[in-house]
Amino acid sequence: MKTSLLTPDTQRGGLRLAGLVLAVISVILPAFPLGPLASHPWMPMAALWAAYGWASEAEEMEKLQAWRGVRAPATLALLGLLQDWIVGGPIGLYMIIYLATYLIGRLAASAMRSPNILSLWAGFIATCVGLCGVAAFVAPWALGGYAGLTPFAQACAVTAALFPFVRPLYMDANTV
Amino acid sequence: MARRRSRAQRGAGIRITIGAISALVLIGVASVFIFTRDDGGVSAGDDVAAAGVRAGTGPAAATGQFFKRVGDSWKATERIEALEKENRELRQWRETSLALSERLERYEDLLKMPREAFGVGALADRTISARLILDAGGPFKRTLLANAGADHGVERGYIALNEHGLIGRVVAVGRRSSRVLILDDFNSKIPVMGLQSRARAVLAGDASAAPRMDAGFATIAAPRLEYQAPAGVLREGERIVTSGDGGVFPRGLLVGFAHRGEDGVWRARLATSAHPIDYVRLMPFAPVVAPEAELVNDPGPPTPAVASSAPVTAVALPPAGLVAPPKTRIRPLAPVTPAADEDEAPPAPDTATPPAQAPPAAPAPTPAPRPQ
Repeated sequence: MKTSLLTPDTQRGGLRLAGLVLAVISVILPAFPLGPLASHPWMPMAALWAAYGWASEAEEMEKLQAWRGVRAPATLALLGLLQDWIVGGPIGLYMIIYLATYLIGRLAASAMRSPNILSLWAGFIATCVGLCGVAAFVAPWALGGYAGLTPFAQACAVTAALFPFVRPLYMDANTV
Repeated sequence: MARRRSRAQRGAGIRITIGAISALVLIGVASVFIFTRDDGGVSAGDDVAAAGVRAGTGPAAATGQFFKRVGDSWKATERIEALEKENRELRQWRETSLALSERLERYEDLLKMPREAFGVGALADRTISARLILDAGGPFKRTLLANAGADHGVERGYIALNEHGLIGRVVAVGRRSSRVLILDDFNSKIPVMGLQSRARAVLAGDASAAPRMDAGFATIAAPRLEYQAPAGVLREGERIVTSGDGGVFPRGLLVGFAHRGEDGVWRARLATSAHPIDYVRLMPFAPVVAPEAELVNDPGPPTPAVASSAPVTAVALPPAGLVAPPKTRIRPLAPVTPAADEDEAPPAPDTATPPAQAPPAAPAPTPAPRPQ
């Protein structure tokens, strides 16, 4: 007998939507004059959480309907495009960053045998480290040889540190 | 439980899924975007973002301004007194400044120096004022978006500065917005010099220093001072200005103050970072044109007749440090008589005259020496 009006699927959909909204806000907010805490590197890159979380659920999504597997990469590409636009280009840099997170997240999810909060967190940290490696190649290619990795690594560290607090927005709570 | 088991049973192993394939395809598309990069798309996006911010922040800014005015009116008397005091001090400084400026102008007239107003080559009378509406930075790029674009006359390469000093330069222009690359961006490398020591350096943005923790619109980190020449002569607190080398910025714009950090790295504490950046002036810059680009028909000073052909002239000039041999006049042999020899004797050669000053104003034609 159900005691709540919201079914688990509805709750999960709501959390997922909240996660998407948070990712969009984290892309847009650093552009507004709200002080250093709302700008990088202190502002976490919520799109990385989304990419990692959606990657871990991709397989189950595709089992339901095949086309659902395309939804996450397409959304991430749009988020990257939006960020490239706001930051002032070059168009494609953040698209690659977020999609690379998704792919690394897929690898991490495949490698995980018994996911729990610690292993998921470790997986996200490993994903961020791998992402810094990707950025070390992509950023100089897109922005020129002077582009540095330190601020991006700082932003990744802040994002990784806050991951456990936002995990339910991007991953099914029943997995832990 | 079943879900947990299915996760646990999934185990290791990489599966090629539709999501992964589509992600790879999209990465390929993004790579094509980067390969065929074009500022047009970014500029159009800037215009959209600028319009959105204007619409979004307009009412909020007006409301904030209203409450600020109401709050300020409570302490208006104190503020007026403080401003009057500051005004008196500034008037004294103004008089001093005018006197010194006049004196400097006279000195420059005496030396026939070209005028140096707001940085050499800066066209201060064609500046465009704009407001910064977006701090569109990120981990990789530090830019600001100003609400003036091509419709207002802004062009790429304009210098961005405010009342405190240099901020950066315009790197992309839309119709109603322009993007300013600020000094602490990785790609910002500006030739600067110390005003007292005259040491040249490159102001290299690294965006690595943490932003200041005060509430402001935009804050800029302190860029490094690299490739100092001569090394080690910069002074702590020295004013750093643009040197004008390279022709990207005019000479003499205030950048900041030299500061050596605990790590031993010289940095410039930017003059603009002490205050929130809100309004900027976008200024065109006409660099000094190389003489080869605008040659004038100047015959130059009259050349001595001896320089009839280049190779001979080049050989005729002795190397520095050598003393020219005494001048002798070749005369036809004449019958030797004691009286005539005393009257027509040539003057003693002036061996003290350096070779560089040897040619007189109208020298007599002399046979050029043959090259050895």
